[in-house]
Amino acid sequence: MYLSHLSLTHFRNYQKLEIDFSGPLTLFQGENAQGKTNLLEAIYYLATSKPVHAQTEREIVDWLAEDEPIPFARVAATVLTDASRRPLELEIVLSQRGEGGAFQKQIKINGSNKRSLDLVGQMRAVLFLPEDIKLVDGSPGERRRYLDIALCQISREYTRSLSQFQKVMTHRNGLLKTLREQNARPNDANVAGQLAFWDEQLTAHGSAVMARRHQFVQQLEQCAHQRHLELSDEREQLALQYLPSFNLGNMSDADYARLKENRLDRIEPVQDNNGLTAEQLQPHFMAKLASRRGREIAAGNTLYGPHRDDLRFLANGRDLRTYGSRGQQRTAALSLKLAEVQAMTVATGAAPLLLLDDVMSELDAVRRSTLLTALEGVPQALLTTTDWDDFTPEFRARAQLFTVAKGAILPLSA
Amino acid sequence: MQPLAEPVTKLIDAFGQLPGIGPKTASRLAYFLLRSDAAIALNLATALQELKEKTLFCSVCHNIADQDPCAICANAQRDRSLICVVEEPLDVQAIERTREFHGLYHVLHGAISPADGIGPDDLKVAELLRRIQQGAQPASPEQAAASLLAQVHTSEVREIVLATNPNIEGEATAMYISRLLKPMGIRVTRLARGLPVGGDLEYADEVTLGRALAGRSEM
Repeated sequence: MYLSHLSLTHFRNYQKLEIDFSGPLTLFQGENAQGKTNLLEAIYYLATSKPVHAQTEREIVDWLAEDEPIPFARVAATVLTDASRRPLELEIVLSQRGEGGAFQKQIKINGSNKRSLDLVGQMRAVLFLPEDIKLVDGSPGERRRYLDIALCQISREYTRSLSQFQKVMTHRNGLLKTLREQNARPNDANVAGQLAFWDEQLTAHGSAVMARRHQFVQQLEQCAHQRHLELSDEREQLALQYLPSFNLGNMSDADYARLKENRLDRIEPVQDNNGLTAEQLQPHFMAKLASRRGREIAAGNTLYGPHRDDLRFLANGRDLRTYGSRGQQRTAALSLKLAEVQAMTVATGAAPLLLLDDVMSELDAVRRSTLLTALEGVPQALLTTTDWDDFTPEFRARAQLFTVAKGAILPLSA
Repeated sequence: MQPLAEPVTKLIDAFGQLPGIGPKTASRLAYFLLRSDAAIALNLATALQELKEKTLFCSVCHNIADQDPCAICANAQRDRSLICVVEEPLDVQAIERTREFHGLYHVLHGAISPADGIGPDDLKVAELLRRIQQGAQPASPEQAAASLLAQVHTSEVREIVLATNPNIEGEATAMYISRLLKPMGIRVTRLARGLPVGGDLEYADEVTLGRALAGRSEM
């Protein structure tokens, strides 16, 4: 997969940009607030169809464009793939409907209208940001969002299950609220009858999401463990623990309780851990909902499921969120991202596009060189920096170089 | 600016309240009626009046009708052991057009959608059960189901066809009703899902195609 051309119109601070890429490495240098991050975010937006910082899509449109008759923003890319000789044309146009109206997103693949479900996964990308540290020290929501964006790019099935799960949960929460207002008794046959369908659907789609996350975290751990050893000079053993909101049935209840409290050194699997399937998991999900029906009605909300998942990072057995230093947290986040690249390559058979936003400045010499080594052999990586000296002359000699200033990008004249 | 005569603006406003009609179309329609033959306007007026005066909901199937019971429910030729459950009156028209169905209908007037606060009590579910039972007024669908268990053998209904929409709300409704009816030993069926006739296989989305494969039939 290779991004050969990018075109931006009214995207953030870019009025108009057309840029061609050649070679595996591209390096953008510029002062702060010139548009380096916006450039990488545009590419990531096209890969995931979601804005990077969970900002509203309105903010994507350049504010200067409001003076245009019809305010709009457009991101388009040409991608070369191994699978087909015909280049892939991807495009997202955001335009405003009427005066002060909502923005509408239109997605095109090779010129024809598609859904965002069809776009995600066409051009896969992994984005490295200085604020990746939030994955370790931030809220569980950040980690779930991270897992979702990575998995949606890998698996269409996952995207579908996740969106179905969310749709069903909205209905189920509506029903639980209604039941709460009616002071319904959890053991009433009528209550069971009304919940039956939604429980069935919630657990079917939710189990698919959780089984895939469980498997993905195991995959990530394998790669991340190795990367973390290299980055920490063989001093730290990184472990990733997937923390579902109830026991999925792959360990004893006592072990699950210990896992939640982080007192579990080693999980003794009661069954083959690698083969945890949605079908095996669903009965446990169903049983949990059945036994906690009263609590859920009292809360008027779905209390168990993938929307309550978390992920824990351990270095030498210690929870990095609470006990890790900034440096350890940063290293763990970097190991995770590098592991994601590897896992995505394994899962899809093609390496994703690497987008690194001003990552070097945060790293010491050892981590820099590990990261640069990891970049060797990838089909394409785009990097931004404020300072050319963050990169070795050898690295710069191999890369395509640009300078970014005030929403314009120029090739570096030697 | 000279204001328009009041009867004209009144009509324009009335048209403007209809779905799909904006201010421009509303005034065009009003001016058309103003200029055209009086008979056209009067016909429209009578039609509108009769629409409300002479239609009612059939007390048996809850479809829109001009008599009670409606023509379908009153037709002795139709199979009374078969009831097709649909969401909206328009769905009855769609199934009638197939000429493949000779049973009776039951219109729910909606589908279960908890997110919008629509539950089984807001639909004609209790009425459906009462219809099968043909007895006392039940307080809730569940109670009706319970008392129906005893009487089911006297009912002439043998099969319920659930023809709610194949979306999540329609599926929820179908599942809810089938759970109520199953214990009574009545046959409950659901419309098959699959490919549209005259469609192209390559343009079918994978869920529909998957369902079509799962439900394939012997040739």
